[in-house]
Amino acid sequence: MRISFIVNGKSVELDVSPKKRLLDILHDDLDLISVKEGCGKGECGACAVIFNGERVNSCLIPAFQTDGSEVITLEGLKELPGYAAIERAYVEHGAVQCGFCLSGFVVSTVAFLKEKKSPADEEEIKEKLAGNLCRCTGYTKIIEAVKDLSLQEDLRRQPEAEVSHYVKK
Amino acid sequence: MKANPNDFRVDAVGKLRAETRYIRDEKIPGLWFGAAIRSPLPRARIKSITFDKNFDWNRVTVVTAKEIANNYVAMLENDMPFLAEEIVNYAGEPVVLIAAADKETLREAGEHVKVNYEPLPYVLDMLQSENSDVKIFGERNIFKEIRIEKGNIEQARQNAFAIVELESETGFQEHLYLEPQGVVAIPEEDRVIIKGSMQCPYYIKAALDEMFGGKKHVTVIQAATGGAFGGKEDFPSLLAGHAALLAVKSGHPVAMFFDREEDVRVTTKRHPSYHKDIAYVDKNGRILGLDLTIYLDGGAYCTLSQVVLARSALTATGCYHVPHVRILAKAVATNTVPSGAFRGFGGPQAVFAIEMLIEEIAHRLNLRPDQVRRLNLIKEGQSTATGQILRYSVSAEETFTDVLERSDYVRKYNTYKKGNAPILERLLKGVYPKKNADDMLKGIGLSVSLHGAGFTGTGENRIKGKIRVEINKEGMPVIFSSQTEMGQGEETALKNILAKTLSIDRELILLTEVNTDLVPNSGPTVASRTTMVVGSLLVEAGKEIISRLTKKLNSETGKSFEYRLGYFYDGEQIISFREVAQKYAGLFVEKQYSHPPVIKFDDIRWKGDAYPVFSWAAAVAEVEVDPVTFEISVARYFTTHEIGKAINYDQAIAQIQGGSLQGIGYAIYEKVGLKNGYFDITGFTDYIIPSSADMPEMDVKILENPYPFGPFGAKGLGELPFVGAAPAVISALWMIFNYPFTRLPVMPEDLFSVVRTLKEKGA
Repeated sequence: MRISFIVNGKSVELDVSPKKRLLDILHDDLDLISVKEGCGKGECGACAVIFNGERVNSCLIPAFQTDGSEVITLEGLKELPGYAAIERAYVEHGAVQCGFCLSGFVVSTVAFLKEKKSPADEEEIKEKLAGNLCRCTGYTKIIEAVKDLSLQEDLRRQPEAEVSHYVKK
Repeated sequence: MKANPNDFRVDAVGKLRAETRYIRDEKIPGLWFGAAIRSPLPRARIKSITFDKNFDWNRVTVVTAKEIANNYVAMLENDMPFLAEEIVNYAGEPVVLIAAADKETLREAGEHVKVNYEPLPYVLDMLQSENSDVKIFGERNIFKEIRIEKGNIEQARQNAFAIVELESETGFQEHLYLEPQGVVAIPEEDRVIIKGSMQCPYYIKAALDEMFGGKKHVTVIQAATGGAFGGKEDFPSLLAGHAALLAVKSGHPVAMFFDREEDVRVTTKRHPSYHKDIAYVDKNGRILGLDLTIYLDGGAYCTLSQVVLARSALTATGCYHVPHVRILAKAVATNTVPSGAFRGFGGPQAVFAIEMLIEEIAHRLNLRPDQVRRLNLIKEGQSTATGQILRYSVSAEETFTDVLERSDYVRKYNTYKKGNAPILERLLKGVYPKKNADDMLKGIGLSVSLHGAGFTGTGENRIKGKIRVEINKEGMPVIFSSQTEMGQGEETALKNILAKTLSIDRELILLTEVNTDLVPNSGPTVASRTTMVVGSLLVEAGKEIISRLTKKLNSETGKSFEYRLGYFYDGEQIISFREVAQKYAGLFVEKQYSHPPVIKFDDIRWKGDAYPVFSWAAAVAEVEVDPVTFEISVARYFTTHEIGKAINYDQAIAQIQGGSLQGIGYAIYEKVGLKNGYFDITGFTDYIIPSSADMPEMDVKILENPYPFGPFGAKGLGELPFVGAAPAVISALWMIFNYPFTRLPVMPEDLFSVVRTLKEKGA
């Protein structure tokens, strides 16, 4: 089938099998390599993207559902002005190890921050990031990074404005 | 606390910007996809392999065992074939390889291959293997048997106040690196290039050189690797062989990419273990002697089981000083997927067993578990089971004391016991156990652990790891080594060590791609050896570069420059390292490792310095059990590690946090069973690893106690954090239920049946 959708602010049209997963479309057809396959069953979160404004596991979205949608991957997020702060927090807190789960965590971080009106506590972050699995870090440093980011008022909610601005342009 | 910028990882930004390419992210023109057709039976004779005539086989490349001249994966014993020829020895064993240009054709082709099997009797139980009629390896199915003796165990028996016996067991564990196994083979006229997710490029090269009988030049290149934990140590040699066979025959690059299900079902697991241990103790709980019997389940082929067994046996007396020891250790064959390397490499099984034995001693003598441990901790000047006298960098007591104090262990032990009493009483009476909705059973447990850094015994002297540092045209030192980055921070550590030796910015140091055509064999990235062993070579290389540059500069100028923290200085002039280095571009230094001569080991009699040094840790776990659902969680986890010197403090903490959580998973979350000889797991759905919601509050401390031969005093770290986690968690369950938990993992259903047993006993 022919699908047309917006990926990281750009219109994309493709001919794909209706059952093809959004994960494969992004990773294989569009070379958006931040989207990783860790399980293919919606369990690990390594393929997380922002799909119509919500964080989803792209391995669970078949092509036919993507027609007319708006998708943002890490490649899109890293163009946002707020991304530098996110990158800095992950680097400074030492939250990076093998990196395979990382873009999923960053996508979830952005999705989490844009819903936050006030700084987050640890329990809340742990619960909200529980859909992303990591086998290297033990999560502590990731949680610390996200907690630090949630203290920055200009980051909370702002990503949402940025994201939608980005999508519209 | 924020990290020192010098601790920031050199690979972090590339990963955060998705610029780092893992093997599935590489664009390889004309790439085909390969797959293996696998045995569904744990043991069978292959009667025939037929290819459906109605299928168009022109589009597909097929490889069977008959076509492989040297059909064995070169490892310790060359017993594992790339493809089974007559007999399959485990469910999941590869029998036929196929490759096609696209995954759809590959899937269809797979459905048109028929393998007829004659089922044969099989053995799955490691304790029945030795005397089984089923012969998998030699006459007795024993990959390796080790006997270690110290003192006279009979004397300990005669002097014993009490004889404490315990049987304990540990199960399989899956690595569950986030990136599944993946390797690509690219054929050229006289050469095959292997590129993929791996720990040990030279292991793969050795296996493929042997497979091709030297007829092809084999180049192995590591792609970015998304976690390994030992799971990408031995297994990729098999997988790379498959990719290479298909690539050479088809003439196309071929990818062997596992999906998660195939990965968890056919790749190596941690060796299951069985221990039957006897302790002879005096009335205070002092250990006079240990008589230990160890079994490891090696699965169908040997892989690395012999050395895993060695580490298990050499770790079996834990952090304790024991005058009389007898150890009998066997790695046996069963018809299961070959067990392989996994962080800790036999150590976690051994430490679990000894720590549970200590719990049992405390239980029998009515002592607190910390009292028995403290009494027996090994000290500098004392000797291990092999008679290795610990002459330096011994911190069993220091780590233990520190973690007990920081966690307030003794007070909490008493408080929680008191708090649990009424809940337990209601529970065992069959009354609803909770008075308040948040009534929880609270436990506090502890462990002491150690990890011998570097290869076991004479391993390092056999491998003779080699590195090169070369000055490039820009005056930048370039490191050539075969050490791999898999998430643990190897690139950052090696650059930091050389930068510190030369007193120059880390950004001036380059690392060459890990490619066997470019880098010497500095040994595999295993055994917590990279920082300590390869790091020490870098320090030597750095020092030699300084002295050679100084000499050249002085002979050219006729002056007497000396090196001061990054600068050459002669009283008048001061010139930067880089400026001088650039003049002598092309200068290189090679260094090869061997143990300092003072370290001696006899690996026939199992006597002497089994490891050049040990790293030490102690842990306290606070565990909560819901008395209604029996759900177990770790609320707080304290650990103190002594690793000689933290080369990168922040990332050392990160290793400890991650390794500890993986060990907590081993204790109470991660369970693999067998169903008809096949693992009963398919992925994250039915094999639960800890998520962020399960993580405890982590309190980590690092002590320093330098190893005289390590870089700046550093010892090994990577594996140690895993080792003590499970025994600390299970120790807390002993404390809550006053019941001997002797099997890993412990799941809620196990607690349920323990409570039922305790109820029956009470009645």
